[in-house]
Amino acid sequence: MSTPTGQTLRDPREVIREEPLMHAPIYAALADGPATVPEIATRIDHPVHEVVYWVMGMRRYGLLIESAEADDDGYFSYRVVGQAEPGATLEECEYE
Amino acid sequence: MDYDVLVIGSGIGGMESSIKLADMGYRVLLVEKEASVGGRMILLSKVFPTLDCASCISGPKMSSTINHPNITTMAYSEVQGISRTADGRFQAAIRQRPKFVDWAACTGCDACQKACTVAVPDQFNANLAARRAAYIAFPQAVPKKAVLERAGTSPCIGACPAGIKAHGYVSLARAGKYEEAFQLVLDATPLVGTLGRACYAPCETECTRTKLEGPVPIRLIKRFAADHHYEGTTPDGPAIEVAEPNGRTVAIVGSGPAGLTAAWQLARKGYQVTILEKREQPGGYLRHAIPTYRLPHEVVDADIANLTSLGVQIRCNAAVSDPEALKAEGYDAVIMATGTQVATRMDVPGEDADGSVNGLDFLDAVANGAAPDLTGKRVVVVGGGNVAMDAARVSLRLGAAEARVAYRRTRAEMPAHHVESEDAEAEGAVFELLVAPTEVLTADGHVTGLKLQRMRLGAPDASGRRSPEPIPGSEYTLDADLVISTIGMSPDPAPFASLADKRGRIAVDPRTLQTSVPYLFAAGDVTAGATDITRAIGSGRRAAHMVDRWLTGQPLDGFTALDDRLETVTHESVLARQTAFGHRHPISGDVTLAPNPRDFAEIEAPLSEELVRSGAGSCLDCGVCSECQECVKACPAFAIRLDEHEHLSDVEVGAVVVATGHKLFAADLKPEYGFGKFPNVITGMQMDRLLAPTRPFNTVLRPGDGKVPERIGYISCTGSRDKTVGNPLCSKFCCMYSIKQNQLIMGALPLADVSMHYMDMRAAGKRYEEFYVQAQDMGAQYIKGRVSKITEEPNGDLLVRYEDIEHGGNIVEASYDLVVLAVGIQPNRDVERLFGEAPLGLDEYYYVAEPSAELSPGQTTVPGVFVAGTAAGAKDIVDTILHSGAAVAQVAAHLEHHHFSEEVPV
Repeated sequence: MSTPTGQTLRDPREVIREEPLMHAPIYAALADGPATVPEIATRIDHPVHEVVYWVMGMRRYGLLIESAEADDDGYFSYRVVGQAEPGATLEECEYE
Repeated sequence: MDYDVLVIGSGIGGMESSIKLADMGYRVLLVEKEASVGGRMILLSKVFPTLDCASCISGPKMSSTINHPNITTMAYSEVQGISRTADGRFQAAIRQRPKFVDWAACTGCDACQKACTVAVPDQFNANLAARRAAYIAFPQAVPKKAVLERAGTSPCIGACPAGIKAHGYVSLARAGKYEEAFQLVLDATPLVGTLGRACYAPCETECTRTKLEGPVPIRLIKRFAADHHYEGTTPDGPAIEVAEPNGRTVAIVGSGPAGLTAAWQLARKGYQVTILEKREQPGGYLRHAIPTYRLPHEVVDADIANLTSLGVQIRCNAAVSDPEALKAEGYDAVIMATGTQVATRMDVPGEDADGSVNGLDFLDAVANGAAPDLTGKRVVVVGGGNVAMDAARVSLRLGAAEARVAYRRTRAEMPAHHVESEDAEAEGAVFELLVAPTEVLTADGHVTGLKLQRMRLGAPDASGRRSPEPIPGSEYTLDADLVISTIGMSPDPAPFASLADKRGRIAVDPRTLQTSVPYLFAAGDVTAGATDITRAIGSGRRAAHMVDRWLTGQPLDGFTALDDRLETVTHESVLARQTAFGHRHPISGDVTLAPNPRDFAEIEAPLSEELVRSGAGSCLDCGVCSECQECVKACPAFAIRLDEHEHLSDVEVGAVVVATGHKLFAADLKPEYGFGKFPNVITGMQMDRLLAPTRPFNTVLRPGDGKVPERIGYISCTGSRDKTVGNPLCSKFCCMYSIKQNQLIMGALPLADVSMHYMDMRAAGKRYEEFYVQAQDMGAQYIKGRVSKITEEPNGDLLVRYEDIEHGGNIVEASYDLVVLAVGIQPNRDVERLFGEAPLGLDEYYYVAEPSAELSPGQTTVPGVFVAGTAAGAKDIVDTILHSGAAVAQVAAHLEHHHFSEEVPV
């Protein structure tokens, strides 16, 4: 698993700017099914904390969707919208 | 008086002040710098101590603010300055920033932001996630309208004489939208493939990335998009929008880049266009001068096919001797785009001998299958421009034993593009510098050599270049079999003698390109002299626009592609957006240059898709919005207005309420806590966003790896009560918002352990102490003692080192998944520039001063100016509302005392 330790964090603006560039590699990483952020980071060989920016950006604009539950290690899986995953639903927002 | 009161800022203090004053009957102008009212409160999760939903409380106030009949709201606007008049009123200058979206048409559907190709940090999510350059501030925005963030024109676009949106197609290529990138260039000109190869790319010269390690490979990205399109093209031609035929006809004389582009633009507007070309094949110098190793003919053919697919007729072998006669033939308008066809003579003896040619004729012959055999021949090219370089390189390819370029100035003054001269040299051309021809030597009518005189540089001439002066007695001879003259070119004025200026060019109005004959326009080099492809394309676009305006009875203006661009952003402003830049290896073309090349194969290889994406990924998004036009295409309401401008206005008001709020402490100023260095150290505002219903993640996750945190530590008083960072003040609400978040986390993550490291717990307010106890009862741990340092463990967890005061004062370490810094507040010093030469008084900590805060809260040092909320100092939401009420009472008393209001308050 990629870890942030020992790495100099890039300016968030620089990382975020690359999100459109990273869509294709992330789609490719998820082609065979859902994966957690650390798994995606390993598959595309990028720092995991940078992948968080990209996955959350893609999720925000409706390109990815998360699993209903986190796994035992505390990680949600993400899949490409339109890919089938039985039982997966988008968590509803709470406004109360 | 325009309004009774000007309220600056629409956070909870500004909204409360506006609504109360409006309810009292005063006419309020509310100015908000963001695209939505609401300030910070709308971004919070819940409020303490009631745990009411912040949106549920703030939302109705936002709606009341916008819809109140006595409140005029100017969102996305700024107060630039306020001055007090002699009778105590105020003149305020207000700048309404361009939104680039027609808010009357925008439905807030979010199609634009989904289509946008530029990602930037989302300030409304405390930079935890991305938003787009086209964005709606947040889901509960009021008004819920989109804006386009545009810092200005990107330098690459600003540098393009053709008005091509380089940033736009780079951002499209970055997103893998190659066909859209092709279409964006096609919107300007049909010559996409040509530009991808033969353009000198002024866009790359101005690219901000040149200030780092090298430019974005803009031209080669365009070439990739063109090749990608042409490899997959269909017989139906490009998928470009074309108007229905309008019944009007236009003749265009000349088929170079200006003529082809003008034809393209007019055809798309529904005109029946006929191009009249005197040569056997169209393309002008693209086909007849630029050698195929730089620009293959099949690329020119593919570009021209874009035109013919729209029905443009190209009649070759159709020389025009009288353009005005075309009107009589039935054309409604004529564009002359005949270029510079006449080579300048050297005017030396022997120039007309066999073996002495001009560069244009030489290149034309080679391009049209009549290349001479130069095997073993010695060639001398006279001149230092791009044609000279082409002639020398072509000579080498035709077998010449040597190709010398004789130029009268030095290499520094050489007009050829530096790439062309460097490549020519690499292929074996030899430069003879500071020499001028005096005679072409002949024997039996054939060239045997060239007599040259050495020169030296004297005073600068009109062009700014130092003039060459002959050195007496310095003549020498070069043996030669072929002399090629390339010392200049000019238009052939014969077809338009009555319209020519003294330089033999067609005289036109430079903005309209209209000649003295109203239906006759001219474009490209025939009006400007020899330039380059991009300038010719820009001129062709302009001519087409003006012809359309003239034929439809409109004023000859409105050419927004080049005349109405936003100011170009500076490199410095772009580079100032980031604290550091990662190094990227610059990507450039793979050009094969070998001495004495013998074939005309294309010398530059295309970029691979991987390199295209990587190169496009280095773009810095200088203008923020890339002008890629995806939002324009996506908007179902046709609401995007990229040509919108800012609006400046002056208003007179009777009183001013400053409700500009506060700023949050920059947590990286406490480096021992690792914010900005350890991704799992976040601020309290970031945690509030993670807990909010409209959170940027799917739940509370740590930003370092997307894991659900189980052990969460808080550190209070980060940047407040801390003289080491220059802020000894308590921020008053950090303890309470931390306790609020502690409770919410335990609700959202029932298995999570929450601990807070504090110095003093300040829970002074109605039910605040009970709220604190409630958190303790829920299981939150409160540890008294200052944190000295945070370090990161290999798995991203954080070791917090602190003094455990209540257990013997030992130095202890605790491990957390996530650490939240309860940052304090700082004054918003933007207020200092509002009042110009008579500034508002500030206290010693730079908050707005209230000289009599105990007796007259809200009054400032300037009569008629009042302050509401945290602009005057730290306050929680409850106190902000109370303070706003006090300010409102002061405003009403002021207005009534001075009888400023023209209407009696209700």
